[in-house]
Amino acid sequence: MKGYNFKVLLWKELLDLSRDYKTLATSLLLPLIFFPLLGFLSLALVTQQPVNIAIVDMDRVELQNRLLNLTFSSTDLVDKLIDGLKKYGFNVYIANDSDVVYNSSIDLVIIIPKGFTFNLSSLNSTAHVEIYRRANVQACARAEAIARSIINGYSNAISKEKVEAIIRVTGLNATSTAILYPISTKLQLVTIGGQEVSAEVELKGLFARVLVLALSVVITPATSFIIDGIIGERERKTIEMILSLPLPVSLIIYSKLVAATMLGLLTAIADALGFVSYVVLTTMALGGSLSLPIDPILLLLHSIVAFFTILVTICIALPFITRTRGIRSASNIASGIAIIGTIVFFTGFIVDYSRLPTTIKSVLYIIPYTHSILSIQYYVVGYTFQALIHLMVLVILSFVLLLFSTKMLNTEKMLLAPPT
Amino acid sequence: MVLNGMNNIVVIAKDLIKKYGTRIAVAGISFTVSRGEIFGLIGPNGAGKTTTLRMTATLIKPDNGEIFIKNINALKDPVNARKYIGYLPEEAEVYPRLTGYEHLLFYAKLRKPDHVDEAVEFGVKLSGLGKRIYDKAGDYSKGMKRRLLLAIALMTRPDLAILDEPTSGLDVYASVRVRNLIREYVRETGSSVILSSHNMLEVEYLCDRIAFISRGKIVSVGYPKEILEKYSASNLEEAFVKAVEEAGYKYEGL
Repeated sequence: MKGYNFKVLLWKELLDLSRDYKTLATSLLLPLIFFPLLGFLSLALVTQQPVNIAIVDMDRVELQNRLLNLTFSSTDLVDKLIDGLKKYGFNVYIANDSDVVYNSSIDLVIIIPKGFTFNLSSLNSTAHVEIYRRANVQACARAEAIARSIINGYSNAISKEKVEAIIRVTGLNATSTAILYPISTKLQLVTIGGQEVSAEVELKGLFARVLVLALSVVITPATSFIIDGIIGERERKTIEMILSLPLPVSLIIYSKLVAATMLGLLTAIADALGFVSYVVLTTMALGGSLSLPIDPILLLLHSIVAFFTILVTICIALPFITRTRGIRSASNIASGIAIIGTIVFFTGFIVDYSRLPTTIKSVLYIIPYTHSILSIQYYVVGYTFQALIHLMVLVILSFVLLLFSTKMLNTEKMLLAPPT
Repeated sequence: MVLNGMNNIVVIAKDLIKKYGTRIAVAGISFTVSRGEIFGLIGPNGAGKTTTLRMTATLIKPDNGEIFIKNINALKDPVNARKYIGYLPEEAEVYPRLTGYEHLLFYAKLRKPDHVDEAVEFGVKLSGLGKRIYDKAGDYSKGMKRRLLLAIALMTRPDLAILDEPTSGLDVYASVRVRNLIREYVRETGSSVILSSHNMLEVEYLCDRIAFISRGKIVSVGYPKEILEKYSASNLEEAFVKAVEEAGYKYEGL
């Protein structure tokens, strides 16, 4: 009978929720639209920031190193810089004078000084390029980084040509690579068990961090919904008839908790998808490529963790919420809990909880959200058993808190606002 | 308390006391309601009518006293006692996103799971909403909402209907319809009703027995005719004023 009554109560909650378009739009559609939009918008704005770059070639000579039989020219580098920087949408101008530095409309000035080609062609001196960048302009910093990478690329190519020429002239049994890069490193990613894995696993870790961070944004809509379900019903004067039903008050609350948690779960999925699309779209738009490996077990684990994380949050908030005067004070309590959750999940985004010393972890175990983070993080690094243990702890904590919070329920307090 | 031989009594409330902090809302109220009887609680604002009805409906616990609903100790077993109660709060509202029909279905499933269709059918009839029953309740007028809520309270034919100001905020026409509905319902089902009201016309028309409440105490109880004789009054309004003033009530307004 309890199961039947619960189903009826839940039916009403979900029917009401399914017609609450504002809540659904803000909880589900908004993250799906908002995050990709944020990605597109930030990219669109970045590309719309005009960056004016002036290149001053004060050398403009071509020299030949007869010993190496190589020809060097400052124009080569200038051409490479023009091509490379224009590809990224920057405005590139050729200037004749280094006074262009004082021109306020120019954000980045690259000066190739006199003697550049001479130094470049020699075997005992270094050629210099001077870069002047407008301080505190983000777009300029990006342009500077690109210019540096073009110059570095050109520098590496010249090194190689010179070394190959020296080998050729001297007849040494050598290769340019062996001389230029006498030490190389090899990186192989392995699992806990030592099996070789591809770089995709790293991305899986990144994805898992995003999922952990996504947990922080699902707490608020779920607590708001439960506040609305209890305090809102009291203020809208619908709660009294519900409480007069021949049902234990805990059953009425359970149905509201489950409905709120389901909303929270859907929000978690929407947020995760939104985050992922934000990362993928911005990376793609910036010229990179990123394909996130979607692990169905990880997604399932995230959904379960999200469900119980929301349940734990609501159970913590419930005894306080039912004892508040109105929606405003209940929202303040919920905000406090949401802030704690956000802090914990943000640390989970940047810190590997699974690598923390046991003493620190033991303290953090008191916070239920620690188990949410550890469950996901342990799974990603291959400790499936530990991941399950922390999931179980989270589930047990949820039910203990659920029992505790519903035991503290008081029909009278839910019905009548406490006195000021 | 021994209740043998009291099968005709649906409600026994004895020495009910309720305090909110230091304020005494109900200061020792006792009453009984028989089967098929409409019992009215009449009193000024803040007299303790709503608190008394909420205690009877097992929504709030008295600090002292006993309540029996159909021989069930309502304080010890409130969930079981509520099976016999249909309750209409004074300021109840509807769920604006649910239709009237969905309201009836929801409450019928929880109150009478074995007779849902029958209860809903009766609820539709009681509400008098016709085809509007399938509209969202948020679009209803105040009178329509009140009729829907009254239908919810009565559709399962509870042994005891507790109606707190059933015509509160309704216009004359809607009030008449609601009063007729209550009367027809009692005649048809033989259920008992406890109602509170400010409206003496309503009380005179509906109630078999009435109790005047002032400052959390019943100052007079009986059949309307008896009360009129007791206070040598020509109508209940006059009797009410005399009764509460005798009990020390002073109106502090203009």
